[in-house]
Amino acid sequence: MWIVVGVASLFLLKAGAAKSLVPSKLQSLAELLVEFIQGIIQDTMGASGMRYFPLIGALFLFILFCNLLGLIPGSYTVTSQIVATGVFAIGVYALSLVIGFQLHGAKFLGILVPPGTPGWLLPLMIPIELISQIARPISLAVRLFANMTAGHVILGVLFGLTIAGGLLIGWLPFSFTIVLYGLEVGIAFIQAYIFTVLTCVYIGDAIHLH
Amino acid sequence: MPQFDSHFFSSLIFWEVLSFSILFWILYKYAWPPILETLETRERKIRESLDQAEQSRATAEQKLKEYETKLQLAAKEAESLMTEAKQKSQKLLDENQQRLRADSDRIKEEATQDIERERRKALEDIKSQTADLAILVAEKVIGRSLSNDDHRRFAQEALAEVAAHSKS
Repeated sequence: MWIVVGVASLFLLKAGAAKSLVPSKLQSLAELLVEFIQGIIQDTMGASGMRYFPLIGALFLFILFCNLLGLIPGSYTVTSQIVATGVFAIGVYALSLVIGFQLHGAKFLGILVPPGTPGWLLPLMIPIELISQIARPISLAVRLFANMTAGHVILGVLFGLTIAGGLLIGWLPFSFTIVLYGLEVGIAFIQAYIFTVLTCVYIGDAIHLH
Repeated sequence: MPQFDSHFFSSLIFWEVLSFSILFWILYKYAWPPILETLETRERKIRESLDQAEQSRATAEQKLKEYETKLQLAAKEAESLMTEAKQKSQKLLDENQQRLRADSDRIKEEATQDIERERRKALEDIKSQTADLAILVAEKVIGRSLSNDDHRRFAQEALAEVAAHSKS
């Protein structure tokens, strides 16, 4: 985790230090990243969500670097721990609740009632919405954790097969690992992206309330 | 599976929160501002440049139009000036021709008159000189000049002749 913090900060600090109008490669990469995150926020929360850019950006980078650095053999993937993803998921969800209650007060409870629900359906709708709300942090945590863990489990199995198969058959699972590694890098990006997007969606829901 | 081993949950949570907080703080304090600032600056610069370019283009177009109108005006003026100049020169030419003709006519007239006068004078001179010459020649032919007696005799003869003429 310290490595993650170190690498991510070093990358962005170095990229941000240049400040030149015609960007270098590193600077362009960082700016691309920033604009990418800004794009996510803009798409899901609108312009008012830009306030949360530092948080969302840090979250995205932290998860992304955790995922990527976990792919280096011998290192450890923090995001393959259900606790780690759970902390993030619950933290994000709690933040969205705090923001919602801060902005809308008691009216924020209206998030449990979809617009246009007839009165007699309320006893049914409120429990359903409640479950969907509770499912949010759980799905958020499990998705990231499961993806990361599954990837590593598959890689582990394939490596195990490679070693067990010896030279004769071992090349087959080994070649699979190469392909899977490429896939895992993609998944690392995609999961970080999904986690960030869903975070934005939840916070956006809290801001806009339907 | 180590994932569900609750043995080190608390330490993991602690370190995760701590490291995330540190990352968040570093990025919030030092990394995002310069990058965002650069992006904003670039965006502003690009927008300004575009605006400026648009403005320049508009100005250039306007200038071009102005010049074209000016050019047209100038062409028209030049044409009118040319026509005027042509007319003037034609007029001047005509006047000069008339004046010259009149002058030449006058000079010819005067010359003719002068020649006539000179001719007459010359004729008269010739006449008088001829008379003188005749007298001189007559004197030479007769010899010496006539004596008084001769004069008297001539006079008398002339008188007689006149008398005879007057009688007849």
